[in-house]
Amino acid sequence: MTETGSRHGASYSPDDVAASLGRNDGGIGRGQTTYYDHPVLHKAHWRWEIIAYFFVGGASAASAALAALADHSGDAEAAPLVRNGRYSALAGALVSSVLLVKDLGRPERFLNMMRILKVKSPMSVGVYSLIGFSTNVGLGALDQARADGLLRGALGVDPIAWVPKSLRTAALAVSCAYMALYTGVLIAATAIPVWYVGRRHIPAIFVLSGTTTGCALQSALLAFGAPAPRTAKRLEMIELVAALAEGALLLDYERHAGETGKPLFTGPRGRRLKTWTLGLGIALPALLNLPSVLSRAPAHKPHLLRTLAASALALAGGYVLRSSLITAGRDSADDPRAYLRRPE
Amino acid sequence: MAASTEGTGFFTDVTLCIGCKACEVACKQWNQLPADGYTFTGESYDNTGRLAESTWRHVSFVEQIDRIEPSRSRWMMMSDVCKHCTHAGCLEACPTGAIVRTEFDNVYVQPDVCNGCGYCVPSCPFGVVAIQEEKGVAQKCTLCYDRQKDGLEPACAKSCPTDSITFGPLDELRAKAEARVAALRAQGREAYLYGVDGEETRAVGPLNAFFLIPDRPEVFNLPPAPVLPSRFQPAAYTAGLLAAAAVAAVGIGVFRRGASA
Repeated sequence: MTETGSRHGASYSPDDVAASLGRNDGGIGRGQTTYYDHPVLHKAHWRWEIIAYFFVGGASAASAALAALADHSGDAEAAPLVRNGRYSALAGALVSSVLLVKDLGRPERFLNMMRILKVKSPMSVGVYSLIGFSTNVGLGALDQARADGLLRGALGVDPIAWVPKSLRTAALAVSCAYMALYTGVLIAATAIPVWYVGRRHIPAIFVLSGTTTGCALQSALLAFGAPAPRTAKRLEMIELVAALAEGALLLDYERHAGETGKPLFTGPRGRRLKTWTLGLGIALPALLNLPSVLSRAPAHKPHLLRTLAASALALAGGYVLRSSLITAGRDSADDPRAYLRRPE
Repeated sequence: MAASTEGTGFFTDVTLCIGCKACEVACKQWNQLPADGYTFTGESYDNTGRLAESTWRHVSFVEQIDRIEPSRSRWMMMSDVCKHCTHAGCLEACPTGAIVRTEFDNVYVQPDVCNGCGYCVPSCPFGVVAIQEEKGVAQKCTLCYDRQKDGLEPACAKSCPTDSITFGPLDELRAKAEARVAALRAQGREAYLYGVDGEETRAVGPLNAFFLIPDRPEVFNLPPAPVLPSRFQPAAYTAGLLAAAAVAAVGIGVFRRGASA
């Protein structure tokens, strides 16, 4: 096998062959490092549903957290953010559940996930976290609907009024955090080299990207309502900090992953990630938001078009990040050398 | 076959395999697995390629041709199979409890419980388990759980004409394997056990299906140091929690600052 290339694209140069043929150092095996470059690992079957699930889950977790922060700030101007955040988080939770079920090989057996709770399996804990998150944001949306006067009769009454508000907020905070980070743990804790070498980066990047996209979404929704310049500026500040941290972590991930990171950071996928996520999704919105974030003047009403453009770019960048990571996992699984050299 | 305290497994001896593929065929017949199609690799007599959802035994053909000293050329066949790891990545990852350890200490996917979430697939450090698209569930070698229940040896071991594949209680298999290694080395031949106590068992533990190989493991696409994905979780959770705490601190700070201004 040393003298020919294989259908999997690897080839050996004449020099390699000569070197291995000339090396009669006891063993007969000469220079093979894989079996015809067949993949050692199987790739995950995950399709667009999982990419969308990661994206929607992160953005809705951040939306719910922002709504809770705004609610606790006691700033009346932030009321639209509370409302938008609560409703969009519930919508995100419902969409997430549909996406998660749709991706299963046997969707009708989704409830088998609840036969057991396995702390060691991020997929198992993740399903319970989605249920906990949905319950928490469902209660939040119920609160909001009641405040908005949308509910009459039995639903107008708080079903768990006896639970202290601080406890409900704590439960919401924990479920938001877990919802945003567990998907990163899910892919980092696999045998796929490009994912597991990023185990110190990916979960944090997902949390930060969830925050960026959540802020972008809420900024856009806020821009359509009554002017709320103070709240808009706060969203822009959080988004800016999270986006810059996300960009820095992505670059550090690339540096750390080295050769193993090639499926993610080089080639057409790498260029797409750098253009859409690092450039248009992080750097450009940061530049657009920087003037208003840095201005010491009292907040003024943000420019609608600028806000919408910055938000759309940040959301697109977040989606490209998720899709790049998932598809890079496929190429990494198909490359036997990436795994056989056992990257740390 | 009575299960010993250590359970049962396979010992696959590459030096005895003649590449007849009777194990592949017997496995397909007994387990009623669909054909793999008519792909032609053009690489060797191996047109199966690798283990997959409907290929639970796979015979690889490693050809080492020495053009300078043709007599030193060699041709090795290895019947690969699920390793039934002591610490099985697939089993740890399975959220439904479909993947269990049987009374024979083998790793088994219950086909009526699996919902096809697919998380076991990238969690297997040997690339064994995979999703069968038509059935929508994950499949792999069962170590013929049904046959073992009836006191029969697995179909592949039963069909192997050279006893390259042997089945039995693990302690007996290991003793036999050690003796075989000693005998081969006495003849001046290379022989190593893969999956008993080497570097490859550091994370996943001893393998219930282990191998005698006459060359480095990667020549057979066996990872020299398979990973156990759950070991990556502490670092991953730490990173995620730190980021979440940082974001929460920034969020609280931003909303507080604005409120007092």
